[in-house]
Amino acid sequence: MVLDIVLAPMALTPGTFNVGETVRVTVSFKYTVGVNTAVKIFAGPYYTNIFGKHMVDSCVGQADVPLPAATTPAPQSATVDFILVPKAQGGIENGTYGLRVWVEGTSAVAEQDNVIIVAGNTVSGDIFTSMLPMLMMVMMIGMVMPMISGEE
Amino acid sequence: MEVRTLALDLGLVGVLQTGADPPADAGWYIDPRTGQRVYYDPNTRSFYTLAGGVYIPLGYMNPAPKQVAIGPGEKLKITISYKYSGPAVSGALERFCVGVYGVLGFNETLVGENTRSLPASTTPLPYTGTYTFTIPTNVGGDWDDIYCKLYGGSPGVPQTLFGYENALLIAGREPTISELTIVDFAKV
Repeated sequence: MVLDIVLAPMALTPGTFNVGETVRVTVSFKYTVGVNTAVKIFAGPYYTNIFGKHMVDSCVGQADVPLPAATTPAPQSATVDFILVPKAQGGIENGTYGLRVWVEGTSAVAEQDNVIIVAGNTVSGDIFTSMLPMLMMVMMIGMVMPMISGEE
Repeated sequence: MEVRTLALDLGLVGVLQTGADPPADAGWYIDPRTGQRVYYDPNTRSFYTLAGGVYIPLGYMNPAPKQVAIGPGEKLKITISYKYSGPAVSGALERFCVGVYGVLGFNETLVGENTRSLPASTTPLPYTGTYTFTIPTNVGGDWDDIYCKLYGGSPGVPQTLFGYENALLIAGREPTISELTIVDFAKV
């Protein structure tokens, strides 16, 4: 017996980005609509945990795409930009994220896991936060010691 | 030992011909599209199925042989054909409907009618009727069924209905998106 397994390659190749950079996503789709209209397309990174998939809301971008009336499925493409807002500004942490695109008001969604690798968040803020209690103790000792020395 | 015989008269069993006139004789036939056995009654000019000892008329709605994509402002032309033999009839109506077919029947959202006079004939003569709808801007995405009816007149013609489900692909005010794909992503 031959077990024939074919591993399909990932449609998208993972890419590394620094926080603060803008990512441009190109999408294609087909549509039908009876009148000239426009749709909003959203794109952004998402992370996965035991509760499911969660968008990094601060990094979601959007674009308005006009759709001329078409009664038979018409091909359309569009680009959506989003910014990888640094964590210090309430944005994204370093790590690996999926990429999701969706069309507002429809069920159209496209996504792929683990394609956006985010780097560039500095750790200086974290060091300061962890050392803050120690600094406070040093400051308190500095205030108390002169008082003890004065009693002598 | 006595041989006892159970004789069953299945009557006429034949295969219906696609596009041909209904059979002249009452009896069981086989629908060539579905393989289903159906009973034809020339008096009512209707086909029946048999379930639990009850003859049930076949529905007048059928799967559409094709779908037509259409949207607001466009015109939809429906053509019917039929044959008639009998006394002369004046004022018979050909009714054309677009709408939604559901468990409660056909909800007619667009309706058009032609008035026809049918001359007396002892042999079935062919007729065609057409009606052209202009699809309104408020068309519903589910207005995808059509049916036609021949009825009325003096003397009245036997009411005849025929329809297609999912015959239309309606492009309404709300877009329908398919095949959404991420083609690429890159730093700007």
